[in-house]
Amino acid sequence: MKIKLSDGDRLTKPMSPGPAKKLGDESGPTKPEISKPGGGNELLRRMKKVDPDQAKRYRQRSGE
Amino acid sequence: MKHRILAGIETEYGLYLEGRGAEEQIDDAMALVRGYPGECFSGWDYRYESPRADLRGFKVERLAYDPEDAKFDAGRARGKDHEVRSDRVLPNGARFYNDHGHPEYSTPECWGLNELALHDCAGELVVLRAAKALGAGVKVYKNNTDFHGASYGTHENYLVPRRIGFDALYKALLPMLIVRQVLTGAGKVGSEAGAKCDYQLSQRADFFAEPVNTETLFRRPIFNTRDEPHADPREWLRLHVISGDANMIPICTARKVGLVKLACHLAEEGSAPSWKIADPVKTFQSLSRDSGPDFKVPLEGRNWTTAREILESYFAAAEQTLDMDDDSCWTIENSRLMLESLQNDPAHFRSQIDWAAKRCMLEQFMDEEGVKWGDPQLQAFDLEYHNVDRSESLHAALEEMGTVEPNPPEKELVPRLTEVRESTRAFARGLAVTKFKEHLRGVSWSSLTFEIAGKFEEVELSPTAEYPQQLRDSVDVGQFVSALRDIAT
Repeated sequence: MKIKLSDGDRLTKPMSPGPAKKLGDESGPTKPEISKPGGGNELLRRMKKVDPDQAKRYRQRSGE
Repeated sequence: MKHRILAGIETEYGLYLEGRGAEEQIDDAMALVRGYPGECFSGWDYRYESPRADLRGFKVERLAYDPEDAKFDAGRARGKDHEVRSDRVLPNGARFYNDHGHPEYSTPECWGLNELALHDCAGELVVLRAAKALGAGVKVYKNNTDFHGASYGTHENYLVPRRIGFDALYKALLPMLIVRQVLTGAGKVGSEAGAKCDYQLSQRADFFAEPVNTETLFRRPIFNTRDEPHADPREWLRLHVISGDANMIPICTARKVGLVKLACHLAEEGSAPSWKIADPVKTFQSLSRDSGPDFKVPLEGRNWTTAREILESYFAAAEQTLDMDDDSCWTIENSRLMLESLQNDPAHFRSQIDWAAKRCMLEQFMDEEGVKWGDPQLQAFDLEYHNVDRSESLHAALEEMGTVEPNPPEKELVPRLTEVRESTRAFARGLAVTKFKEHLRGVSWSSLTFEIAGKFEEVELSPTAEYPQQLRDSVDVGQFVSALRDIAT
């Protein structure tokens, strides 16, 4: 049997008044809940070889 | 579920040549594409292209152009449009060309998610081979930004029945396109517009200006309405998704496409969950800047929900209303696993999600070297994560370390440069290139044109027909054309 779902409002929660942090104003993720990968030798070797100004020099035309 | 959805991915690659700039980028991309060392056919048929047609039933007079790019072209003449684009059709049915100065690889159309992810990876090999042929010092990046305000796209294409209609598709797709970045974003250091941040989930979020329109170069929308079906327009429309990122982890590519297919099926069934997201563009951008793991989404009427609840509503609707195929089941199962891992198993989460893998890599370096957010070398690392040369790529280094899911081995990818394993129309297109190139005069997504005994013969390629392996046995072009016509009818 196919069931039509009602709209998504049933899954929502009321917004608490005056949120401490306004959406869109964050300075970005600060500390993700992720641990570090192990054995970074090859990665570190390659990172050391990257020209630190590569992104500064990298200019592209806008595409689609 | 009534039918499979044919899908493809077109990726514009970033191109860097030592000592060259954006002014020369079109010339360089032309040279790169034209120098592709593999077998190909030159002769794209543009008659069926209509980028100004809008799904909402009108045609815009002109498409907007980035004013910054216009400055690069002042006083330059490069010949006719088709010469600049330098289209090549490859033996696997893919299209390889210069699009606004970016080498663009459009995969062959695929039915299956795994097959599409494989062809997306094979595209990296195509572009890398062309870059190597162009010379030393050529770098190619599979990303979507130059960190200075220029973006270039990784577009997905889904052939869906036109009877679904614009309204149903838009309502079903918009929430999905906004929240799927949590499970599919490629990650970006910094911001190029809007609120400043150190890091964000999406490479593209900064570049959206409107929820919906037909533009792709300027004032880009989350939901693009370009109406260019590349099939019978009475029956089909091609959903042209421009809001996704270029993924380096292939399972991320498969999930990205699987989630949109799910929303398309629900739109067709009329059972997509209904969400009224407050200010879609602002929400896309704030979600991209969110640190998680809740990823709150503001709704109209001062309510909020989370990305997980929105995604789960799609999964529940699919389970309750669709007769799902293996790909749909996999999409739901894998996405749920990732949402669970986001909370409880971060190492597993970052093994399959580009933004998390990249962020963890950067934080490891920052910890070890005492570097802070804002250091310009972090953007250089971001860029090099997307380098398609595996001997330099930071993504490939993570793969070698076993930190991210492995790419398919070359023995899986190399054959896909020259063949199509599904019975799609791409198989017929590829055969035309490999077996009957001397007669081939024009190729489009939906047709082939041959010259036989001084007469032009055009054959339509139905997007839903099965093109059998026996087509390989055609002894001459006449028999091939005849067999294709039989298939079309």
